[in-house]
Amino acid sequence: MSSIRLSIAERSLDTGLTLLAVQNPRVQTYACVMSLEIRPGDEPAEKSGLANLVGECLDEGTEHYGALELASAAENLGAMLEGNQRGGVVMCPATSSKEATALLREMVVEPVFPGHEVRRVQGEVLTEIKAEEDDPRAVASRRFRKEIYGEHPLGRQLHGSARSVAKLKPKDLREFHDEWFRPAGGYVAAAGPDEPERTLDRLEQVFGKFRGKPAKHRPMPALDLAPSGRDAHLPMAREQVHIYLGHLGIRRTHPDFYVLTVMDHILGTGPGFTSRCSRKLRDEQGLCYAVSAGITASAGEEPGTFTAYIGTSPEHRQKAIDGFLDEIRRIRTEVPSPQELQDVKDYLTGSFVFALERNSNLAAYAIRARRFELGFDFVQRYPDLVRAVTAEQVREASERHLHPDRLAVVSAGAS
Amino acid sequence: MMKTMKQGETKPAEAKMLPDVEVVELDNGFKALLVERGPLPVVASVMWYRVGARDEHTGETGVSHFLEHMMFKGTKQFAKGQIDLQTSKMGGSNNAFTDNDSTAYYFAMAADRWETALEIESSRMRGCLLDPLEFASEKNVVLEELAMGEDDPWRPLYQTTESLLFQVHPYHHPVIGYREDLERLTAQQMRGYYERHYGPNRAFLVVVGAIDKARTKQRIQDLFGPIPRAIDRPVALKEPVAQGERRAVLRTPHSVTRLCIGFPTCRMGERDDYALDVLAHDLGNSKNSRLYKRLVLKDELVIEVSVMNETRQDPGALLVLCELREGANPARVEAAIREEVGKQIAEGVDKRDLERIRSQIRASFLFQDEAALDLAMKLSRFEAGAPEGYRTLETVLPTYDSLTRKELRQVAAKYFDFDRAAIVWAMPAAGAQTAASAQAKDQPSGGGKDERGKQKKGEQKGKKAGKRA
Repeated sequence: MSSIRLSIAERSLDTGLTLLAVQNPRVQTYACVMSLEIRPGDEPAEKSGLANLVGECLDEGTEHYGALELASAAENLGAMLEGNQRGGVVMCPATSSKEATALLREMVVEPVFPGHEVRRVQGEVLTEIKAEEDDPRAVASRRFRKEIYGEHPLGRQLHGSARSVAKLKPKDLREFHDEWFRPAGGYVAAAGPDEPERTLDRLEQVFGKFRGKPAKHRPMPALDLAPSGRDAHLPMAREQVHIYLGHLGIRRTHPDFYVLTVMDHILGTGPGFTSRCSRKLRDEQGLCYAVSAGITASAGEEPGTFTAYIGTSPEHRQKAIDGFLDEIRRIRTEVPSPQELQDVKDYLTGSFVFALERNSNLAAYAIRARRFELGFDFVQRYPDLVRAVTAEQVREASERHLHPDRLAVVSAGAS
Repeated sequence: MMKTMKQGETKPAEAKMLPDVEVVELDNGFKALLVERGPLPVVASVMWYRVGARDEHTGETGVSHFLEHMMFKGTKQFAKGQIDLQTSKMGGSNNAFTDNDSTAYYFAMAADRWETALEIESSRMRGCLLDPLEFASEKNVVLEELAMGEDDPWRPLYQTTESLLFQVHPYHHPVIGYREDLERLTAQQMRGYYERHYGPNRAFLVVVGAIDKARTKQRIQDLFGPIPRAIDRPVALKEPVAQGERRAVLRTPHSVTRLCIGFPTCRMGERDDYALDVLAHDLGNSKNSRLYKRLVLKDELVIEVSVMNETRQDPGALLVLCELREGANPARVEAAIREEVGKQIAEGVDKRDLERIRSQIRASFLFQDEAALDLAMKLSRFEAGAPEGYRTLETVLPTYDSLTRKELRQVAAKYFDFDRAAIVWAMPAAGAQTAASAQAKDQPSGGGKDERGKQKKGEQKGKKAGKRA
């Protein structure tokens, strides 16, 4: 894997927007991702769901296109164009990359949030919220986040609540967009067959006129581990019960990240039935179809969560929880065997390359490498970072970061 | 209309749909398609069996999918756990799925270690252990998967539509099987099914990536050449033409109303199948589609509409699925769909819309070439289902381009007949319980096993059932 070389280039604009380009010479397709500096705390607590609704409505009309015209323009290029709460993404045949990039900019930078369309999408989001209320896995997941993050902005639901979303007005969306969709601190990354410098020229042409003063973000409140555990069950008339178990996790920049990546794969995110949790709870005990446990997947700019999940029959609820607890305690106290450690290292160092096949993944990789200051040579260094992890480091990091006496256990579904 | 070309011959745009494929054919009926490509050092393989729920008899429903699970539980050469462990050590991933017509097993691996995948596939073609203890344990996993599907709001809706559309053909029964059949199924019954259906003449292999083709061909000959044939695939019962609309209303614990309308259609790869793809796009798969504009934008009756052209080895179905907005009148939704389908039959597809749809279809094929596994899957699907196998990819875009508006109108009229349709509603049962109506039972806890004491007593619509999907 050390032979992999990615051709990546970067250009910083005077507006504070960073442009990134990755060459993927084998493909005939193109992807461009726009990710601005918009933080969970930028959304007022009483307007929870506003950022999501802004993202959902970006493609409902712009300065130059009506909603259907924008969709037609993208579809005529064979492009998939989608907005989100931090920007958007477009994927298309490489022959349409210039036009598709311009459409992405138009959608993210110049939306108009027409009243009628916003109210329609608002109604759709309210139905989605209602549908989520039916889904025990979503219900348990939402309550789990609340238990971990409390009133912190990360404890809010992406969609918001039925009450908060119903109160939102088109004016709220316009104001949120005006205040937070600014170039400073944001990234635009593109991947496709062209030379990176050529791609950067195109990006600069399209995004050079995206201007605006830097936004003034509120500082995010500090987060602490809950002092003690908590167990909640939300009964619903279903066949299975969905259980989430965990606590506050780490940031992506935490120095233990790579040791914990190895730990995750030993404990609960290894492929197939190679992790301890899937081997024990699914393969040996037959308790479930879906099971996982890990701390690194959710690590971002803010702390993620250590999360163990299982969907099982209600009579197995406690057995499943006890199974997780046994494995958490074990990995905190026993060093993994040399073979177990080597197997995981083989997997991690061999599988990393699969994240570099698709354009959208390459663009996201470039943004991640820059945002978390990993360096563009991260792809070359990653195998060595993994190989350097020792068994004792895994045990020590598990002891530092996994807290079986401070777990929130939340389940929803059959009782 | 359909032109044939020599492999490797270039032609603008659509010529790139088919990569340079080397075909290996063995005397026992086994076939492999090899595609060498770089620069990333990855290899993807798909082992595709022409064995699926369609091959099951009454009383043994779900055996194909359950067998797919058991294929990871040990073979003569790879003990239980070794398939996943070896895959992991190769830096790879593996998985599998079962559908009505097929069962497919796939690997994505680093190029310097991938050949172990060939050994695994060879070993489990005839050497799966089907150990009774493992069988009993895995049955619980399959029953949990079944329970997960029963909680999914789309699964029962989809399944009921299928069971109404197909009353004689084995597409009638769910891929995952009926609970009663699964509970009764024995390891011995599964062994009989496995030995009857799994063999080189019922399978093919697709390999894409940084391979040495000459070496790979030799390995395939060595590993698969000695394996004896299985029985040829039996012909399934033919579904008679429906004599009138079939309708059902499900009362569900979900609080959102959903609708599925199914129209019986044709076989995969027939010319009408291409026309149905275009008609499905025109009806419901973008903001500019007829049903989206009418139901989501104009009438604001539904939040989501999708149209799926699900052709198969035997005649399949086209499905229209909707999720209604709160308070929307179901009768208005159904009437609007009937009206829009009627308009499509009368007017056909607008010229500009046809160009837009062709662009989308063309792009969707290109996107499937980005990752080695996606390309291997694309080749597999065509090899399995199209009359000319993987070579159909040479002509697939010209075929879409050759469809005339008149022909599209004729195909719409031929299949979108509500007198032959299945119409299934899923509506909230009185007192449907959601989290909002449920009260949490909170218990403070120390979080540990000792504190918590002893045990207390106590997841898209879709047709596939998978090992870990």
